[in-house]
Amino acid sequence: MPSDRLTPRQEHDLVIGAEAGDADASRKLVEAFLPAIVGVAAHFPTAVRVERQELVQEGVAGLLFAARRYDTSLETPFWAYASFWVRKSMQELVAELARPVALSDRAVRGLALLGRARSEYLQAHGSEPTDGELSRATGLTRTQIESLQATQRRPRALEEPLDGAAEAVATVGDTIVDPVAEREYEQVLDEIEIDEVRDLADELDARERRVLRAHYGLGEPVQTLSQIGGRLGLTAERARQIEVGALQKLRERISRAAPVRANV
Amino acid sequence: MEMSSEDRGRHGALLYESQDAYREFAVPFLSEGLEVGEGAIVAHTRPGLAMMREALGSDAAHVTFVDVSSAYTRPARTLASYHQVYVEQLGKSPSLRGIADVQFGLDPAEWDLWTAYEAVFNRSFEHLPAWVVCTYNANGTPDPIIDGVWRTHPEVHAGDAWHTSDRFEDPDELLGELTPEPRPLSGLRSIGFGRDLEEFRDGLARVLAAEKVSDATVLDMLLAATEIAENAIEHGGGVADVRVGHADGRFVCEVVDRGEGFDDPTAGYLAPRPGVGRGLWVARQLTWRLEFFAAPDGFTARIWL
Repeated sequence: MPSDRLTPRQEHDLVIGAEAGDADASRKLVEAFLPAIVGVAAHFPTAVRVERQELVQEGVAGLLFAARRYDTSLETPFWAYASFWVRKSMQELVAELARPVALSDRAVRGLALLGRARSEYLQAHGSEPTDGELSRATGLTRTQIESLQATQRRPRALEEPLDGAAEAVATVGDTIVDPVAEREYEQVLDEIEIDEVRDLADELDARERRVLRAHYGLGEPVQTLSQIGGRLGLTAERARQIEVGALQKLRERISRAAPVRANV
Repeated sequence: MEMSSEDRGRHGALLYESQDAYREFAVPFLSEGLEVGEGAIVAHTRPGLAMMREALGSDAAHVTFVDVSSAYTRPARTLASYHQVYVEQLGKSPSLRGIADVQFGLDPAEWDLWTAYEAVFNRSFEHLPAWVVCTYNANGTPDPIIDGVWRTHPEVHAGDAWHTSDRFEDPDELLGELTPEPRPLSGLRSIGFGRDLEEFRDGLARVLAAEKVSDATVLDMLLAATEIAENAIEHGGGVADVRVGHADGRFVCEVVDRGEGFDDPTAGYLAPRPGVGRGLWVARQLTWRLEFFAAPDGFTARIWL
């Protein structure tokens, strides 16, 4: 299902922009294809409990991945290409949630400790201990206790009745609201971290960034090295040296070689 | 098959039919290496990593786990990502074993690209003390992809045994065969080179600003173009011309040199090592595509942003 919000040219440009790390293009691409992603999520077969919003977020990650990989010169339409990666991302989430939780030895010991503390409390007080009481009895933090307790919760099926009530008619699936609700789109967008920018400038210190941004017009008007030097209290030659050093630093970062051993 | 101290860049494949079969191969493969002090790397999707963490038990603490969910975007970038992992691992152990689940998609139009990636993998890391096994779920994987596995891996583990692939092809030749011929582009304009690299970079920066190229990629293009131009000066007798423009919605920069050029499909795909320049490796990582070809006015490097 192609997006009906974009012309082919707009779609093409947004895909290229998203691939290049343009956050605005990524956001617009996601907005345009969110109805399609929500549609996939709404009918996604899953035997475990998974919030639809989680599926949608995985789908968005799949869409952005597809944008980074999609070759616009090929004839396959973008959604025909991307929908595979959207589904794959959702499938991976479901597979991850469906797996039994593997516990470390330390976690197993922690659970045993919690179990003993709970039994002793029940025997002594005749009621369930709170997390705070368990924390005092075991020396574990509340966060640790919550994490350990979470590992014991069994996955919940999509069609399982809510609250475990046998007579309940509402299911988790029933709680899924209209897939085309704008409010939901906005909520998803707000929660999605579009972090696709390969910001090489993050490798640099503040002065190096200022020189490169000003000289190459990144988010500001292009300036000469003399102008930049004037602003920073440097000579033009010193600004040039900073620029050359910054570029060299970026090159080194990208091309670091593996250590070479003579007698391995 | 055991890894010997003489092994360099050993590249195999596993065709598995089930997750159990994958585990039964992967766990002893990595554990044997750990026992003799080798590093161990598992690259897989998140569910695959969770499965391997569980299967490896206490050995998991000594294994580097790599989530490949978003790693297979462009071959050069994927190679660079693996290189980074190998660099870090080889800083801690004298050699390594890796097992990597390859993320082919279902679009036949891109299969050649990823088969080419597997071909050049043989060359990219041939200098490293590493034994890497690429893994493919044979169930449901289209035949052309499986055929590509046999063409790009000297040894393939299938049906519980290692096999020397009699279909393995010379990686350079296969890469050359699978790399599309550059097509002529009309509409590019000459902007000249200038007196030196700095003037070239300044001129290109002005063009990028005027063309409203995304800030996110301006620096990528400037760095890549600098590497290409430097290469042309050092090995190509100097820069004869620079052309820029748009094609297929992408910004394109061509650097024409005065030399005879080269015919090396691995250019820019070989991880840095003594004797192999870093310039083209850097340029490939930063751009969408690099093409090299002989044109009427000189040997040309075309950079697609």
